[in-house]
Amino acid sequence: MIWDVDLRQALVHDHSRFELDVRFVSDASRLVLYGPSGAGKTQTLKLIVGIARPDDGRVAVAGRAMYDSASRLFLSPQERRLGYVFQDYALFPHLTVRQNIAFGLRRGLLNPSRSFAAAAVERWVEAFHLESVMGHYPHQLSGGQRQRTALARALVNEPAALLLDEPFAALDKRLRQHLRDELKELQEQLRVPLLLITHDDEDLRVLAQEVVHLHAGRVAAAPPALEAAIAE
Amino acid sequence: MEAAWVALLLTLKVAGWATALNLVLGVGVGFAMARLRFPGRDLLDAVFTLPMVMPPTVLGYYLLVLIGTHSAIGSWLNHTFGIRLIFTWQGAVIAATVVAFPLVFKAARASFETVDPQLEDAARTLGLREVAVFSRVSLPLAWHGILAGLLLSFARALGEFGATLMVAGSIPGRTQTLSIAVYEAVQAGQDDTANFLVAVTSIVCIAVLLAANRLVPGRVALRD
Amino acid sequence: MKRHLTLCLATLLALPAAAADLTVSAAASLTNAFKEIGAMFEAANPGTKVALNFGASGALLQQIAKGGAPVDVFASADQETMDQAQSQGLVQAAQRRNFVSNTLVIIVPTAAANLPKAVNDLTEPAYQRIAIGQPASVPVGRYTKGVLEAAGLWGAIEPKMVGANNVRQALDYVARAEVDAGFVYATDAALMADKVKVAVTVPTQTPILYPVAPLAASANAVMAAKFVGYLLSAPAQAVLAKYGFGKP
Repeated sequence: MIWDVDLRQALVHDHSRFELDVRFVSDASRLVLYGPSGAGKTQTLKLIVGIARPDDGRVAVAGRAMYDSASRLFLSPQERRLGYVFQDYALFPHLTVRQNIAFGLRRGLLNPSRSFAAAAVERWVEAFHLESVMGHYPHQLSGGQRQRTALARALVNEPAALLLDEPFAALDKRLRQHLRDELKELQEQLRVPLLLITHDDEDLRVLAQEVVHLHAGRVAAAPPALEAAIAE
Repeated sequence: MEAAWVALLLTLKVAGWATALNLVLGVGVGFAMARLRFPGRDLLDAVFTLPMVMPPTVLGYYLLVLIGTHSAIGSWLNHTFGIRLIFTWQGAVIAATVVAFPLVFKAARASFETVDPQLEDAARTLGLREVAVFSRVSLPLAWHGILAGLLLSFARALGEFGATLMVAGSIPGRTQTLSIAVYEAVQAGQDDTANFLVAVTSIVCIAVLLAANRLVPGRVALRD
Repeated sequence: MKRHLTLCLATLLALPAAAADLTVSAAASLTNAFKEIGAMFEAANPGTKVALNFGASGALLQQIAKGGAPVDVFASADQETMDQAQSQGLVQAAQRRNFVSNTLVIIVPTAAANLPKAVNDLTEPAYQRIAIGQPASVPVGRYTKGVLEAAGLWGAIEPKMVGANNVRQALDYVARAEVDAGFVYATDAALMADKVKVAVTVPTQTPILYPVAPLAASANAVMAAKFVGYLLSAPAQAVLAKYGFGKP
């Protein structure tokens, strides 16, 4: 099993209560979390990567246990070694593209210098055609360049799996299509398991090997039309 | 006017130390208050802000009671290390630090609150431990606001009078800062000295403001 | 609305002129005695309110000379300050009078282990901090410096000096035991007999005589002169004697 997720969390915010109760297992290398906004997809992803804490449950990814309330196991996000791409990329605004990508390669108290060079960095820069913008800052980049920088940054650490929160949401249709195909190819090449959040049908059709439907904090049955689409 | 030179150097030394202390304390406390949530947080924030609104003489009195030679803290320091804080430049530093603390604390807290917590989370997913997240993400992004607070704090410490006079007294060369020296000169009718000291103080203040404008472009003000 | 506003303004402007106010600036050591004497004077002269302003004599002089403070009577703790006032034409020289005398003493905190027996004991290492009024503006500091200089001790003691802005502050420093010894007047020491004890009575080169005079610019010359006269009368002198002041 690549994905073994069993999570419960009750979130109380200003007198409203949101209960998450998500349970799924899958062997798919490209798994999609699908559902309307407010369904709890992002929250689920955060719980899996460890930047939010569940009330109880269990998480194992690529054969490695990361969280288990029964045995009091909780690996910090640092220890989980899962790559995470945020919805708005969360690029460090005070660092250049090169420094952003190289970020995880330096674990000390100082950021990598502007001229930091490493094989891992160059590899991703080439793969994503970011050579011309290496010295730029995030605010100077286009949407597509930002997305790729965020992806490169997550991949440079050689994560055990990659989690992406609506990676194409801010992009126009053509770019979206292009990057989607790129991602699929990348995943097939690297064989790194992918867990992706989206509410776009096309993303589903192209990328998903399996789909987990989330609705109001719970896994729901898939609508029949969608099942047919995925079967392709 | 050697006395004025001595007072100026002492004032810069006291204000410098106070600002250095506030850098550590203000940033530390500001970060903690920005990131932690606990019952009574607002009350604690008010307590930390108190020195900014309290009359300096009231603060001076509290300090006398807290660190005076016969207080719990003061007598312990005296018996263990032979350190007495009253009437020393170290006492003046403490008075200036307390008075100027809220300026750094508030600026730091406000600045850290503008740092997107997602960026800190991103750093964590990339394997950085908490200290590194602070030094590489939180602090660099909050730095401009903190610097503005530090400059204000330095200016405030430069001009501290009431609490300093009560805790450190007016001892030329040891605790007689510029503002106290002006006070003494006026009381003694020494107009020439007073005029000179006032001119020196004004020049120093203008220099601080000019430096502030260069380091922090735009208004030197607390960010909303 | 407009009528109310005018009425308010009229009241505010009228207030200062309501009662016959006498403003008296007096040396800090006279605080307790003058509060009593002020009340007695008010009782004896209905319609007059006595406003008292205490501080170091030098500081009080600056308030009058530089600030033009509206003072009617000035009582200082030494002749020198009054001489300065006189040379600047600020007081009615003809009505200047000495009205009390005082003595200089060395005090230590009651719990102090060391008790100096003479002035030069203060040069010993046991006394690290000594409260002395700022000689430039505080009479008790001037007397102290004069005594120490005459004894050739000023060089040894000045480094240990913690400057006080008025005699009461010097007293407070000793009472709080933040200093090892201090120079104050005998009358001040008597006020805090529970916190300080007198170690040495120090003879000064000139007797400590307090002068008082009405101000030349006083708006209330008649009352001012009356107050000066009252200080020399039996009831006021009795109060001063009660606090330990000597005859002029």
